Amino acid sequence: MRPIHVLLADDDEDDRLFFTEAFEEIKIDTIIRTVNDGVELMNHLNQENIQIPNILFLDLNMPRKTGIDCLLEIKQLPHLQDMAIVIYSTSSSEKDIEDTFVQGANVYIKKPSDFNSLKKILEDVITINWQYQTSGLNRDNFMLSL
Amino acid sequence: MQLIKPGTLFKSPFFLRGVFVLSLLMLLYISSVSYKHNQALTESSELLVHSYKIQLQLEHILSLLKEAEIAQRGYITTSDSVLLRPYKIAPGQIYDSFLRLKSLTIDNHEQQYNLDTLLQFINYRFKLMALTLQSSEAIPFNETEFGINLLQGEHLMEDIQAQINKIDRRELLYLKSHQQTYEKEALFSPVSTFLFMIFSLLIVILSFLKINKDLHVLKKSNEQLLIINESIKHAEVIGEFYISQWNQATNELVFSDNLYRLLGVEPQSFPPTIGNYLKFVHPDDKHIVAKSEESIFKDEKNDPGFYRIIRKDGEVRYIMSVGKFIHDENNRIHIGIGKDITEQHLSNVALEERNHELEQSIKELESFNRVASHDLQEPLRKIQTFISRISEKDKGLISESGKAYLSKIETSANRMRILIDDLLLFSRTNKAEKVFAKTDLNLLLENAIQELAQNIEEKNADIHSDPLPEINVIPFQIHQLFVNLIGNALKYCKPGIPPEIKIECTKLTSDQYPAFIKDKGKKYYKITVSDKGMGFEQQYAENIFLLFTRLHQKLDYPGSGIGLSICKKIAENHNGFINAEGNPGMGATFSVFLPA
Amino acid sequence: MKLYLKFDSNVGLKKIMQEQLEKLQIKHEYLGFAEIEIEDTISSAQLGQLSSSLSNYGMEIIENQKSILVQKIKDTIIEMVYSEEKLPVSNSAYISDRLKQRYDYISAVFSEVTYTSIENFILLQKTERAKQLIITNELTFSEIAYMLNYSSAAHFSSQFKSVTGITPTAFQRIINARRKNSKV
Repeated sequence: MRPIHVLLADDDEDDRLFFTEAFEEIKIDTIIRTVNDGVELMNHLNQENIQIPNILFLDLNMPRKTGIDCLLEIKQLPHLQDMAIVIYSTSSSEKDIEDTFVQGANVYIKKPSDFNSLKKILEDVITINWQYQTSGLNRDNFMLSL
Repeated sequence: MQLIKPGTLFKSPFFLRGVFVLSLLMLLYISSVSYKHNQALTESSELLVHSYKIQLQLEHILSLLKEAEIAQRGYITTSDSVLLRPYKIAPGQIYDSFLRLKSLTIDNHEQQYNLDTLLQFINYRFKLMALTLQSSEAIPFNETEFGINLLQGEHLMEDIQAQINKIDRRELLYLKSHQQTYEKEALFSPVSTFLFMIFSLLIVILSFLKINKDLHVLKKSNEQLLIINESIKHAEVIGEFYISQWNQATNELVFSDNLYRLLGVEPQSFPPTIGNYLKFVHPDDKHIVAKSEESIFKDEKNDPGFYRIIRKDGEVRYIMSVGKFIHDENNRIHIGIGKDITEQHLSNVALEERNHELEQSIKELESFNRVASHDLQEPLRKIQTFISRISEKDKGLISESGKAYLSKIETSANRMRILIDDLLLFSRTNKAEKVFAKTDLNLLLENAIQELAQNIEEKNADIHSDPLPEINVIPFQIHQLFVNLIGNALKYCKPGIPPEIKIECTKLTSDQYPAFIKDKGKKYYKITVSDKGMGFEQQYAENIFLLFTRLHQKLDYPGSGIGLSICKKIAENHNGFINAEGNPGMGATFSVFLPA
Repeated sequence: MKLYLKFDSNVGLKKIMQEQLEKLQIKHEYLGFAEIEIEDTISSAQLGQLSSSLSNYGMEIIENQKSILVQKIKDTIIEMVYSEEKLPVSNSAYISDRLKQRYDYISAVFSEVTYTSIENFILLQKTERAKQLIITNELTFSEIAYMLNYSSAAHFSSQFKSVTGITPTAFQRIINARRKNSKV
């Protein structure tokens, strides 16, 4: 497996810390990058000649531009259609989860409250996403709720 | 107080007219009969007079004749020419009487003939008397001729007497026959008159009775009307409304006394016109009243009006007015009612405001609940995650007491998490759109069991369920209900013994309803979740549904105390009920009643 | 308007490979299962060209032995899951049979390369097929369950949920909502 490029957009410093530390402990080869809010995220993604991430982890509650707004924007950009979008959020309302899927998200993760669970979840997401990337499965139907 | 039907009184005029006409006819008949009778009497007496006159004249003639005779005899005896005077004037007078007789009997041919015959006799007598005179004065007195003349004279007098008698008799006959006719009539008239009089009397008496009764009825209905009128007036005062009447035909407008009182003035203190009324209407609302009046004028349907008036003392009152046309065969009257609803209106407004405030309050509280729960989750999650990090990374470096403290922090944090989750759930149960859908409860139960799958497997629990019906519910809430109840059954099992959970369902008939189901009309399903776990004491059966009430120590049985409150809320959202039965050491049964 | 496609990847693949190889004038024979027998040896430059032109179609030349095996395993599984007939009773026996290798060996190699187990992959593929069937809207969940060899719609439902985290019903809902959105 080539190194998987992962991008996280989250305004919370601690969550970014958990995230990066979790990936350090996962045995999969990954390159992690973080941005601090929605505006930074879109600026980064709209640059020319950047390496498009394989997976984007997107927090919903961000200042300046919310996760949902970013999701909607991303879905309109053709060069980002291959990127898996994982919504990474604290809300557990069924309706909110379904809404993000309807808007085009592929995975919904409810932020766990223990580190080991976080590691397991991230590992599962990466693994399954890898299957989608390597086995010709239909990205449009990729939906996972953890 | 029964009102007299208008129909009964209205029949009287016809009756009266009939009786009147009848009586009139009776009177006319009786008068005509009396008149005729009178006429008859008069005629009768006239006839008598007539006969008497004839008789008189005849007597007169006779006496004249006799006087003439006596005069003649006297002269013959005494040769006194003075004594001859009656003899000389007699023919003239007799002729006069004769003429009178003729005229008196002018319509009677027979008598005329008789009279002519009499006249002949009389003329002959006078001739004879003249002859007798002559013969008495003849020198040589012829005694025989004189004697024959006297004898002829006597015989003639007898004939005359006979003729007069004949005429008399004839008259008498006529009289008698006429009398007889009249007598017949005279007999009939009184009888018939008497009968008719009786009849009339009867009619008069009957009429009197009827009219008396009618008067009585009229009087009574009048009294009733008065009472009703008074009652209406009192009702107006008590009910704080007024009545107005407008007669479409005569354009007459009547305001009840209470209208004036409601306006704060003396009854009937100004003439009842729209203009005068409008003076009391609040300036901003004048158009409402004007519009209403216009529609009444145009005879259109008018909706109830609601407007303000300003009483004479300046106080603002709220009036609700409504009206309708009523009519009988002669009149079309618009009845308007206006009610002073100031108190109700103000209290309504106050209620609405309060409602609004409450709604705001609820919204704020819900919002607060939601946001608080949500925002509380964040730091809590961090705490839990960092704790788990420490435990992982620096396990070796921490002292035993440190580890113990960390463990306690973790436990507390977990408890807080459960509490927040349940609070969030509780607030969602309240706030969520209550969308009912006909759902197969078996599916919801299966989903719930699946959600608890891990727990069920761990405890090796045995769950058995009756087939459940398909009813109109809020699916995610019933799902939550099952999760909570079954979760509880799993949690409070007997330690070491695999839990046995039974879910049963029966449809209740109204006689099986427990006491708290008041509405016997609705049908209910009773779904029970029973277990053979630890149970609880029945005295707490109601408490456990209260928010945050728990029966066990938090360490032994983690829980927030909200679960059953959520179940109760869910049951209420469905217009149903939930109750619990517990038997310590034996088990517990939770019964949910849901409308079918 | 929308078109729903069903495709036989083999035909497509074969066509593309033939076109590319003919373009570079490489004599070849198609052995099926994404295996090509090349008659002569080809230079690394040609190999590079072929590699880059094939990569436009998302195709890679697998050089690693293990990767080749894994690809075969995947192909077998895909064929198994997408066949018109009912799924075999024992997946492991079927695969082992087809590839003529011991199952534990196949299993180990697969996990090493893909970081996931064969069972997980099969589950994933089944779920993928289920998703496709759900999208076409022609079958009920019970029918889909039967086709994919589940004992009941409920069983299918719970497995779908355990793999994806959402129920088939929710999945259908989301797909329909997406369709409505894109129409607007």
